[in-house]
Parts: sequence; C-alpha cells; structure tokens
Amino acid sequence: MNISVRSLRSLRGLSSGRRGAMNVFDRSTKRKQKEWASSLLDSDKYDYLRDEVGSRVADRVYDVSRTFPLALDVGCGKSHMAEHLSKDIVERLFLTDISDSSLRNRRKCEIPSHCVLADEEFLPFKENTFDLVLSSMSLHWINDLPGALRQPDGVFIGAVVGGETLYELRCSLQLAELEREGGFAPHISPYTAVTDLGNLLGQAGFNMLTVDIDEVQVNYPGMLEVMSDLQGMGESNCAWNRKSLLHRDTILAAAAIYKEMYGNEDGSVPATFQILYMIGWKPHESQAKPVKRGSANVSFADLSKMSKLQKTNEKS
Amino acid sequence: MSSSNVWSRSRARMRLFPELLAQCSGEAAAYGKCVASTTTGKQELTKNMCVKEFEALKSCFQSAAKKGVK
Repeated sequence: MNISVRSLRSLRGLSSGRRGAMNVFDRSTKRKQKEWASSLLDSDKYDYLRDEVGSRVADRVYDVSRTFPLALDVGCGKSHMAEHLSKDIVERLFLTDISDSSLRNRRKCEIPSHCVLADEEFLPFKENTFDLVLSSMSLHWINDLPGALRQPDGVFIGAVVGGETLYELRCSLQLAELEREGGFAPHISPYTAVTDLGNLLGQAGFNMLTVDIDEVQVNYPGMLEVMSDLQGMGESNCAWNRKSLLHRDTILAAAAIYKEMYGNEDGSVPATFQILYMIGWKPHESQAKPVKRGSANVSFADLSKMSKLQKTNEKS
Repeated sequence: MSSSNVWSRSRARMRLFPELLAQCSGEAAAYGKCVASTTTGKQELTKNMCVKEFEALKSCFQSAAKKGVK
C-alpha cells in the first residue's frame, strides 16, 4: 500500500469569489473537534454509526456495476468505507480529511490509497480527475455544499445526516431551556431536509439523482450518554451561532424531559439518526435524455390492450 | 496522568450525573410529565411553569450528590 501524506492548506481569503457562500459552520473548530476525537484512546468505541453508514454506502457502490479506476473519499475520517470495498470495484483510492490524526489512525484496506489532508470545501484536485466520489457522514458540516461538490467528476455517492436527526435531543433541550430560562438557543446544528438535497445536488451540476432515507435508532442509557457519544464521534456542534454554555439546571431538566417524553420501557432512551443517501451522476453523452415532444409512437390507450397481449403470450 | 485542573474535575463531576439522576427517577418523571403536558395543552410553555416539580428534582439530585455515589 502506497501512503503519502501531503498537507495542503488553502487560504480562506480566496473563498470570497464563491457566489452566495453561506458561513454557518466554524471549520477550524470542527477540525479541532475531529482531532480531539480521533486521538482519544478509545475512539473506536464511537465508530459504530460511521461504520454502519460506511458499509451501506459501500453497498451502493457495488450496486453500480462498474469498475472505477480512481476514487476519492471526501471527509473519510478513519476510512470506514474502504474496508468494505474491493480492488475489483475501486482500483485506486484517495482519502481526504480535515483532521490529520484521523488519517493517521485509519483502518487498513486492500486498495492502494493516498492520503491528502484537505478541507472538503477546498479540494485541491482538478475537475474531471475522479470516476467516483464518495462521502460518508462529513458533508453535513460543510458551509457551501454545491461549491464543494462542483469540483471532482464522475459518480457521487454520499451519505449525510439530515432532516429529523436527533429530534429527541433537540426538543428536550428546547423545552428545558424554555421552562428553565425563558428562551432557547439552537444547540443542534441545522440539517438539510430531504427536499433541499435534490436542489443542492442539482446546483452542483449532477444529473440523474437518487436520494433515499434510512433511519437508524440507537438506544442509550440517558441523555448524557447521547451527548458524550456525539462528542466522542467528533460530531459536536460547530455552528457559529451555537451557545457555548449549558446551565446545570437545564441539563438536569432536559435529561428528565428526554426520559419522560421519549424513553423506552426498559429505561433506555432512543436517539434517531436520519441518514440521507444520495447518488448523482455528472452529465455524459451516453446518458438517456428525454425525447423531443411530439415524437411518441405509442399511445396510453394501448395500455388497455397490454393485458390482452399478455394473455395471448401465456397461451402460446 | 495530567494534573487535576478545572476541566478534569468538572468532567469527573459530569460522569456522576447519570447515576445521581437514576436515584431521583420519581421526581424526574413528575417533572417530565409536567413539561410534556404543556406541549399537548393549549398554553405555551413559559418560564417556571413547572418550577415546583423542578425544585423537588433539584433538591433530590443535590442530596444524592451529597451522599456520594458508592
């Protein structure tokens, strides 16, 4: 396996040219959180969600029955997808992540790979370099999603958390802060809704999108364990508008509310992760295009004759 | 082991939180029910609407913390 770690720090100032870039997330805080999480001694304990989503994304790669000479894994973390992929499907793999210690602690895989330390929003690759771009559980912290996806080429298969993820935690904290403090601030990062995802991918120049939703429900002993696991996964909030303080009373109140409103019979509490899987293709001449208007040569009226046709086929 | 500082001490205190909360499950359930009932009712949830239940929960929690967890 050929490994080379190159550090490419793009200057933030160059991003002013991007049109309409939102700035919701503090990327340097996210890098610090990921570094801290991957340098924990027991960081493998928190990998369950990433492993599960990584294996499901790898399944979708197998469904596309093609061999990809060059693939890119954006925001790979400790590389949870590569171990499920084989050399027949992906011949060479580039792994990028914003955090250096995640790349150093990554899982072994049989595909020859290169590691590149890069921010997902400023990928240092030319257009049309890759045949396959993968991303699992990292795009939900990117500020400018269409801009980030615009660069590489080929097929894009990704998974983000979205929609109703962690709604139990969000509601419990909201109610507790309302009751205890009289107002509430957002503690959970804003997620993309399923409906918006199609638009975002369309803006990034992808054709033929498929988006599907999967819900993973994980049971925890209580709210504190949910929060500490999220921290251990490196998924702490890094939005600029996050409140840096959570009062002790509010934590107590929210834990009680969580248990009462959402608790299971055996005393555990569920946390929902809604994973959105997307597959998008860059436009290509070989893709089927809609035919010109007026070129139809069968009519819908023939549908009624279909059943008669089937019966005659069965008899003969 | 690194030296004990305010972060390691407060993290250690937070680790005790779930066990202490488990000792006050009755008060926690009462408080949770009070807040949950406002979500279905007509009134909006305002500050200190369930203050009685919360004070009961907090005092139970603090006495559990004073007793110490074995």
